[in-house]
Amino acid sequence: MAYGRFLLKRGLQGVLVVWGVVTVVFGLRFITPGNPVNAVAPLDASPELRQRIAEELGLNRPVYVQYADYIWELLHGDMGYSYISSIDASTIVLSKLPATLELAVASTVVAIVLSIPLGVVSATRRHEPADYAATSFSLVGISTPNFWLGIMLVLLLSVELNLFPTSGRAFGFYRSFELLFAEGVGAFWAAITGWLWHIALPAVTLGTYFTALVTRLTRSGMLDELGKQYVRATRAKGLPETLVRYRHALKNTLIPVVTVLGLQMGTLIGGAVITEAVFSWPGLGTTLINAINARDWPIIQGTLIVIGVGFVLVNVLVDALYAYLDPQVVE
Amino acid sequence: MADSTGPLDRLFGAVDRVRGALTVSPRTVRNLKSEYRTSALSKVGVALILVVVFMAVFAPFIAPQNPTTQNLDNGRLPPLGFTQTEQQTQTQMVNGSIQTVNTTETVNATLAHPLGTNSLGQDMLARVIYGARTSLLVGLLGTSLAALLGVSVGLTAGYYRGRVDDTLMRFADVSLAFPSLVLAIALIGVWGRASVSVPDPFVVAGVVDPVRSALGLPTPMPDTFVLPGTVIVVVGLVNWVWFARVARGEALSIREEEFVKAARALGADDARVVLRHVLPNATTPILVLATIQVASIILLESSLSFLGFSGTTLSWGFDIAQGRAYLASAWWIATVPGLAIVLTVVGINLVGDWLRDALDPGIEGEGGM
Amino acid sequence: MSRDPTDAEPAGAPAGSPDDVLRVRNLTTRFFTEEGQVNAVEGVDFDVRDGEVFGIVGESGSGKSVTALSVIDLVESPGRITDGEVWYREPDLAAEFEDDVPAAVDGEFVDVRRLPEGVRRSLRGPSFSMIFQDPMSSLNPSVTVGEQIAEAVEVQRRASANPRRTRSRTQGYGLGRLLVDTLVPGRGYTSEASEARAVELLEQVGIPDPAERADEYPHQFSGGMLQRAMVAQALAGEPDVLIADEPTTALDVTIQAQILNLLRDLQAEQDTSVVMITHDLGVIARMCQRVGVMYAGQVVERGTLADVFDDPVHPYTEGLLGSIPDMDEPASRLEPIEGNVPSLLDSEMGERCYFADRCPKAMEDCLRPIPMYDAEGSDEHETRCVLAVEEYDEAAALPDGYFESEPDSASESGSADDPAAGEEVSTGD
Repeated sequence: MAYGRFLLKRGLQGVLVVWGVVTVVFGLRFITPGNPVNAVAPLDASPELRQRIAEELGLNRPVYVQYADYIWELLHGDMGYSYISSIDASTIVLSKLPATLELAVASTVVAIVLSIPLGVVSATRRHEPADYAATSFSLVGISTPNFWLGIMLVLLLSVELNLFPTSGRAFGFYRSFELLFAEGVGAFWAAITGWLWHIALPAVTLGTYFTALVTRLTRSGMLDELGKQYVRATRAKGLPETLVRYRHALKNTLIPVVTVLGLQMGTLIGGAVITEAVFSWPGLGTTLINAINARDWPIIQGTLIVIGVGFVLVNVLVDALYAYLDPQVVE
Repeated sequence: MADSTGPLDRLFGAVDRVRGALTVSPRTVRNLKSEYRTSALSKVGVALILVVVFMAVFAPFIAPQNPTTQNLDNGRLPPLGFTQTEQQTQTQMVNGSIQTVNTTETVNATLAHPLGTNSLGQDMLARVIYGARTSLLVGLLGTSLAALLGVSVGLTAGYYRGRVDDTLMRFADVSLAFPSLVLAIALIGVWGRASVSVPDPFVVAGVVDPVRSALGLPTPMPDTFVLPGTVIVVVGLVNWVWFARVARGEALSIREEEFVKAARALGADDARVVLRHVLPNATTPILVLATIQVASIILLESSLSFLGFSGTTLSWGFDIAQGRAYLASAWWIATVPGLAIVLTVVGINLVGDWLRDALDPGIEGEGGM
Repeated sequence: MSRDPTDAEPAGAPAGSPDDVLRVRNLTTRFFTEEGQVNAVEGVDFDVRDGEVFGIVGESGSGKSVTALSVIDLVESPGRITDGEVWYREPDLAAEFEDDVPAAVDGEFVDVRRLPEGVRRSLRGPSFSMIFQDPMSSLNPSVTVGEQIAEAVEVQRRASANPRRTRSRTQGYGLGRLLVDTLVPGRGYTSEASEARAVELLEQVGIPDPAERADEYPHQFSGGMLQRAMVAQALAGEPDVLIADEPTTALDVTIQAQILNLLRDLQAEQDTSVVMITHDLGVIARMCQRVGVMYAGQVVERGTLADVFDDPVHPYTEGLLGSIPDMDEPASRLEPIEGNVPSLLDSEMGERCYFADRCPKAMEDCLRPIPMYDAEGSDEHETRCVLAVEEYDEAAALPDGYFESEPDSASESGSADDPAAGEEVSTGD
């Protein structure tokens, strides 16, 4: 089937890109000025430690041997051990993944739920107050650095009004469900509301840029589509306006929006890194920044690989969705 | 041009005169003009950008203070129009017993510091003005680097197609897989935060102090300006992909045009065809993308400074990070530089929208932070 | 039968043949653009009878397409219908609005323009339908052809199942219903019955393997097949009046003939009235019983096919006919009308016959607004030309270059050999 073949091809391309991602992360050690040990070793490393690191990592071996080793270990889920805590790097990185995932998903949900109706209203009520409000919001939204937005939200809603906590994650989404089975509904309810209460500001902070971006894309795409001949023809056959707008025009509007969203997933993850820093959200972003400041090389590598692979995965899924929505792509 | 009055119209006049060299068609200029006249928002955008550029260029003349001068006695002064109350608790001996006395001290804004001061007593307005230099320089130099790399790769891929294209574009895919900010942090983490001290031409030429003295403003001003070199290189390196994508798309379509085929048939070598025929016809979308990219890179620079990955302390992002610790007692330290970022980026985005509407290059708002 | 265009508020339906299904009077549509007001349609009158094909012919830019869109109420911003009446014979509709909107009802006729917007919208599909020029851009590229036709069938089914009043606002289909139908598997706007009917319709318009082709997307169809599908979609609602706007212009010559035959057969079979809009006099001669000639937003000549083709009065009609190659004398050259389609900008339209600047017989009497005059031939033959009532007088003729001194007539629309200035009126086959 054409669709299956398309997915297979796209999946193979994804694997190729993942290989590239892994190679780039491997290569980071070698673009450091001077001895590659400098990149790996903590700043205050003693000469003995440097020697040990060089031996342990096999930095004195030929590059291709190191590379093959590195790939081999990765395939076995081995990313080395943290220099700081001596814990398995893959364990650390994977334990931070849920926090980042829930933040990314929550902000995407916020963005999609708000932006598509905003964009549609803006396009269908062009030059009315609702349109001006939506376009102003989206202009400011794409122009505001999210870390500053986060700080302003903290200033207004946490410091002044004391409505939301300034940082932290409470129990997290998954562990709340563990509580449901271990301790019953009461504990679960307390945990999940606590989680919602903690994630509200980070999700809005991270989601605002996306809401603004998708509002803009939806508005301009919807204006394009509504001006097309097929919309007029669809009206001419007497189809209810609801269906003309949403089933026909909006569907065609969302096809390119989905692609741009996939490409912008990088921005979302980048935004997550800095949002986590603002709200002390214990995810991959805080882990990465701490690891870089501590030169904890295995953790840096692990975080980068997880982020890169996650992005590739999301984009393969987005392309699959795109091909599903737009039958011309598969051809 | 009969009704030309404003400075922008004069600029358009200049564009008119050199458009032969720039291959800007008269229709393009006409579209730009009519779009500018009919859209109030593009005027707002141009005005915002002019203000920021003016601040950046003439910073030593207009800053009310030296932005790095500390004055701990004048710390945390509020901006004009605001007062700040600080509660102090003192323990005193009154009539033989120990009492705690709460004294409320009101701090008033002063004309010398219109936007207040930070915790070190540095003038916020001066820091905003000098911060514009960092933002604009990083934005422009970073975008130029990204454009240079991206356009070269994109034109090569689009012109040669086939295996060259596949290879280069897989490379672009890999580069896209890392969010700009993440890759930038990683690269700066590996490379360190090197910076370059550039002499301030006005101060070195000795024209600043006389002017400031005449205006009654304090002297001296900093005679060098710290350019965060690593940051510029890194933001260029992480944003090249967007240019590559656009340039490739243009090259793919332009290489099929008759005049390119004719030039190739006449035996022009590839480099000449690309530089003389393909590139000039791809300038419009690249220009529009570059405008949007300056905004993205300014946001990226502020994020890096905020996280402490910059080589300079005169940066809006850095000031926001400083102000975080004082949210409860001095809200303006984090607020003021953020507003500066938002207004600058809004201005650039408005101009980007104007260019896009007028030139219709067929690209969507690509290129995130 | 001619009426004064200034007579804007006549009481009741205008006089006409008892067979009329549609009587359009003084229809006026303007576009309010940045360059100024464009008078695309200016006081157009015509009647369409039961089961006939009425032709509207004119160069591109003469306002014929906007006339079609105005009748079916699909004019979009910056355009607006500013005046006029569209009387539609529909006894049920008349009975329904007799009390609520008495001004809109006269006997069996209803002035559609005076009905609420929701009701006007509900007439599209079951009462009026339209075929557009380019089938590829007139179908949604991301929805299967069968589904799009099934939607049109469904409109008709729901229209006959529900009383009109309940569906005037959302046509019985609001956002809530859409959400439910989208989210619940196995639900949707169209029913299986309408999908089956769509396949039947595809078969009826001569598409082979209709069941398989119904599941294909527009880009998988050829232009001719797609126009057949458009015809099927337009006829799905069993409309009383079908408006065909240049239905064959985008197609190859051989396929044009097939589509015209198909349209004529289906029209005869279903007894639908058709308004055929074209720049192609060949199509008119082949399909229509009566015809109106449009120029600069006005009907300039109107009558039976014989009146207009054999006995034209208006020099513009003569010019159009002159551009048909003469079959008896194949060597004779085509004679395109000199000059260009005029600017329809309000500020550039003088108080005169709009054709005068291109007219070989322009006289001083043409420098005033011209009413419709009765002309020789059948009772219905009328023309907007002084030659219907007076002889051409060379003494009163306007001198050559008279209009070139007018500041606006030499606007930038270019010279006669500017290829973009407008397509020539030609014969089809």
